[in-house]
Amino acid sequence: MKKEDTVKLISAEGFEFIIDKKAAMVSQTIRNMLTSPGSFAETEHGEVTFPEISTTILEKICQYFYWSLQYASGKETEFHIEPEITLELMMAANYLHT
Amino acid sequence: MESQLIEMCMESATQSRDAVEAWRRQRRTMAIMPSHLAEALFRRLLRRRLLFPSLLEVFKFCVEGIDLRGESYVDAEWMTYIGAFDHLHSLNLSDCNKINNSAIWAITGMTNLKELDLSRCSKITDDGLRHLTTIPILEKLWIPETGVTADGVVLLTSLTNLSLLDLGGLPVSDSALCNLKVLRKLQYLDLWGSEVSNKGASHLKWFPRLSSLNLAWTKVTMLPGLPSLAHLNMSNCTIHSIFEGEGQKALLTKLILSGATIRDASEAFQHLEASSLSLLDLSNSSLNSYCFLPYMRAISDLDLSGTSAGDASVEQIALVGQNLRHLNLSRTKLSSAGLGNLAGFVPNLETLLLSYTAIDDSAIPFMSTMPLLKCINLNGTYIRGISNEVDSHPNCVSSLSELSSLDHLERLHLEETRIKDSALAPLPSLRKLSYLFLRSGSLADTTLHQLSSIRSLVTLGIRDGVLTNAGLDVFNPPPTLRILDLRGCWLMTEDALLSFQQRHPQIEVRHDLLTIALVKRLSGNSPLSQLTPRTKLYKNKKGGTSTSPLRLNRASFLDQRLKYTREELLAMRFSSASISRDNIDLIPRELANDG
Repeated sequence: MKKEDTVKLISAEGFEFIIDKKAAMVSQTIRNMLTSPGSFAETEHGEVTFPEISTTILEKICQYFYWSLQYASGKETEFHIEPEITLELMMAANYLHT
Repeated sequence: MESQLIEMCMESATQSRDAVEAWRRQRRTMAIMPSHLAEALFRRLLRRRLLFPSLLEVFKFCVEGIDLRGESYVDAEWMTYIGAFDHLHSLNLSDCNKINNSAIWAITGMTNLKELDLSRCSKITDDGLRHLTTIPILEKLWIPETGVTADGVVLLTSLTNLSLLDLGGLPVSDSALCNLKVLRKLQYLDLWGSEVSNKGASHLKWFPRLSSLNLAWTKVTMLPGLPSLAHLNMSNCTIHSIFEGEGQKALLTKLILSGATIRDASEAFQHLEASSLSLLDLSNSSLNSYCFLPYMRAISDLDLSGTSAGDASVEQIALVGQNLRHLNLSRTKLSSAGLGNLAGFVPNLETLLLSYTAIDDSAIPFMSTMPLLKCINLNGTYIRGISNEVDSHPNCVSSLSELSSLDHLERLHLEETRIKDSALAPLPSLRKLSYLFLRSGSLADTTLHQLSSIRSLVTLGIRDGVLTNAGLDVFNPPPTLRILDLRGCWLMTEDALLSFQQRHPQIEVRHDLLTIALVKRLSGNSPLSQLTPRTKLYKNKKGGTSTSPLRLNRASFLDQRLKYTREELLAMRFSSASISRDNIDLIPRELANDG
């Protein structure tokens, strides 16, 4: 996969998740960051840092992005969410508009 | 709209008590949660009966609005926790019947509370209101139908920030109202059913910003000029004059005088600026003149149902019909010719209610001149579906075909008319028709067949018809259909209805037999189901088993009207009520608690 087709999402603890750009675009917030005109660091390097999202939550978010793409293409599987992470995940989802 | 991921998180978080236990210790996360998420979670927990007093604590910092209306288990313990909510802005406790004076003591001195709804909390009295005077920033307060007296109302004078005050059903006296004059910011005041008279009404002019006033069911007959008023409700009052006196005229937009007695309309409305009215409700009121109608140039909603309005009044409505969207002329003296006066003058009309008027088929062509009509109610009229001249001619065209030009028609009520199924043929050409209600003894199986081609139908009612099992068997319902109301179709059997329901699980079928079957199923597990003490008693009284209501449960169902004599039917009126009451005890506990 070419570098232009991926984005790097960095969690509060500094863990890096490299995912398909198409998947990351599921989030309206990330889409705006990557496509907005002007030379934001995010747009140039394809790299977004989330100082408020922990690694566990960001991992779940990335899994959701891929699940969401599949779901949209008609593959209906269940996306399991452990009750322990619901609050944080909810808030991250709210921030990311996903 | 909530996103999909948030929705899935909510679902997982409120799955069960265990799920709640998994996240409830995450206090720091809860404290920074945006209020709209916290409130959505709160509502979800409440709806699933997972919320309990000590869990409320986690919402302490993040919730701004709480709606607990009708939750009868909310008591003083809940209130102790809610009293500690730092950012609480609005609290709705209407119909929470465990809330009493000591329960609301917990919210004294709240610093952010601006809206409080205590409607119908009957245990709240004057002492309770004393607690509320410690919340001076309160802007909206609802206390209708509580135990508050006129003395209690006077206590509210310290809440000078009030903009909305609902005192409906309280014994507010003239002097109490006079005391409220210090509430200079009041915009909305509800005094229905109070003891306020003309003397008290004269104090109303001291509220400089009053825009909405409800004086229904009071003794007020004369209202002084209130220049700021936009909405007025004086239902069920006897009205002599409105806004009499000098000064600026009020620009009322909504006027509700339902059930009012108006002695002399021209005198009563002399000072009313009719040109600004957009809604006028005169339903069931008694008045002798409609002279004001031609002046209502901005009217969009007009309700004259149950009044003495006739064709002449309709002629006057036509003069101001340009903006009219909803018109209710049910139970008036309107005739078909009268409706003709409206033709072409009401281009924006969406709702036309003409039930129980004397109109007949000749009125239908006039409706086709109202292109935006969405809802037509013709219940109990002389509509027959055939034009009078060509009576019983085999090839005659149905009068309903005139409706086919109404592209927006969604609702059509034709109950209690003498319409025949042959006249329904033009209905499938109405592309948006979603709700159709028919009720007539002459509707047979062909009705179902004809209506099956209306592809947008959601609710279909064919009551009291002579539909048969065979007709229902071959009925191919439109895919959008959700409710099929067949009550009173007495030729059908339970088996046929149940098998139809099985074939089309998405459709809710309503029929008398299915109700009986449901009660029977619910009581099936009980040893009392076969013969309740009440039925035994009933049998003894009647002196025989032939007319026992238990017969209804047998497979061979007969039309009630044929089976019993008049006297027997009259005797049974009371027994059916008592049987249904008995069955409540037999309904499983879970179901009984649900409601």
